Amino acid sequence: MNDTLPLTDSLTLAMDELIRRVRLSLVEIRGRRFGEGAGIIWDTDGLILTNNHVISRSVPYVLLPDQGGYEAHVLARDADIDLALLQIDTLQLTPAQPAEVLPRVGEIVFALGHPWGQRGYLTHGVVSAIIRAQTAHRHKVTLIRTDVPLAPGSSGGPLINSQGQVIGINAMIVGGDQSLSIPITLIQEFVAGVRARKITAI
Amino acid sequence: MEKNLLTEFSDALANAVELAGKSTVLVDARRRLPSSGIAYTADLILTADHTIERDEDIRILLSDGSQLPAKVVGRDPGSDLALLRLERPTLTAIQPADQPARIGQFALAIGRPSSEGVQASLGVISSIGGPVRTGRGAMLARYIRTDCIPYPGFSGGPLVDSSGMLLGVNTSGLARAVALTIPSEIALKVAESLAAHGHVRRAYLGIRSQPVELSTEAQDALQRKQAGGLLLVGVESGSPASKAGLMVGDILVGLGGGPVSNHDELFALLAGDVVGQVQTLEILRGGQPLQVQITYGEM
Repeated sequence: MNDTLPLTDSLTLAMDELIRRVRLSLVEIRGRRFGEGAGIIWDTDGLILTNNHVISRSVPYVLLPDQGGYEAHVLARDADIDLALLQIDTLQLTPAQPAEVLPRVGEIVFALGHPWGQRGYLTHGVVSAIIRAQTAHRHKVTLIRTDVPLAPGSSGGPLINSQGQVIGINAMIVGGDQSLSIPITLIQEFVAGVRARKITAI
Repeated sequence: MEKNLLTEFSDALANAVELAGKSTVLVDARRRLPSSGIAYTADLILTADHTIERDEDIRILLSDGSQLPAKVVGRDPGSDLALLRLERPTLTAIQPADQPARIGQFALAIGRPSSEGVQASLGVISSIGGPVRTGRGAMLARYIRTDCIPYPGFSGGPLVDSSGMLLGVNTSGLARAVALTIPSEIALKVAESLAAHGHVRRAYLGIRSQPVELSTEAQDALQRKQAGGLLLVGVESGSPASKAGLMVGDILVGLGGGPVSNHDELFALLAGDVVGQVQTLEILRGGQPLQVQITYGEM
């Protein structure tokens, strides 16, 4: 933060820095059709997190921020909570930083994705509510509702806080202006479950 | 994690939501979705009148999760505001902002339409308009519009500034399909009146009038440019207007120092708790300006 700059410039600078960092962990997922959604680089060794509904074929194509493309292996998918983990065969990626707790209502948040095929599109808003919702087959889950504009193609992209940490994955739009994101807590549970199974399999 | 300016701003907004959220309650008084309400005092709740569909069995859910019954103190359908009273004074009253809303200022719409906690949407003050005649017949001297999302059940909830101070009351019941915010100065005056009288006392003159154009001669006599006035076509006997000596054929051109060139301007000048006040009416009689004193009656 530069104290000599006017407030608005300092704020813009802080946002610019943060978004540039998070963009390094944003991927595009392509299926049968062109550009189906977004995904988040989850570790340095090629683990990619996205929404289950973004995956429309058995071998999705993952486009990295540097334009490199990879055929991905679907490690796990859960239609009930709409999450999927992919593995691509590469190293030294820049993973996103996950937040540790749920956000507060009123916090500033940003969404990155590819709405209507526009790559790396950024929108912002605040956390509107933390709600509980019933999934089709399982238990009640916590969801983050925001006033951040989303559109088809935003799915699978990260919802990030003012520190650039991932607090959720953008999953759906309800009633035109209510955006829902799957919270980091549920994501971590899902990823941990997949990792545990992976180890057992070996 | 290093704190940056953005984080500080974000924290401030979340703090504002938390603070205003303590004074934002759930109001369960209609069949569909509950609405929101604002703690006006320790036991009084200001909310949107159109969301009060019954007078009995109104339930309030407080920020701490407790549920209490409430009774209607007064309603003002014209401004779409209603005041409810809790049996026990347990509320934390909201703090009004020091300054009225400014265009471009950050604002948060706060609501509590469910038991899952406070809800919020961020935007800026988009415009400040008025006076306007609402879909409910009354004159609103000023209104605020924002680009906050008016989520279902947000009617009756507060619009607050970035410190959580009250800027106005949100409602989608005043103009069809458009969410407006009643500025806090106006809303709190209505609340005061509802608390004191159970209704908003509206001034009564006892005239029937129609708008007319003012001739150049008439404007010369007035010594000002004014396109129109209100021609009196009826004066009720025994009314404040009759007591003030007004006659059919007089043209009302001013009130209390302000010009009156149409009905909307007259209603705007009669807004607020003015019953019993003595004011100067400016009329044209036989083309000549004349000033008379009138004491506002109550409708």
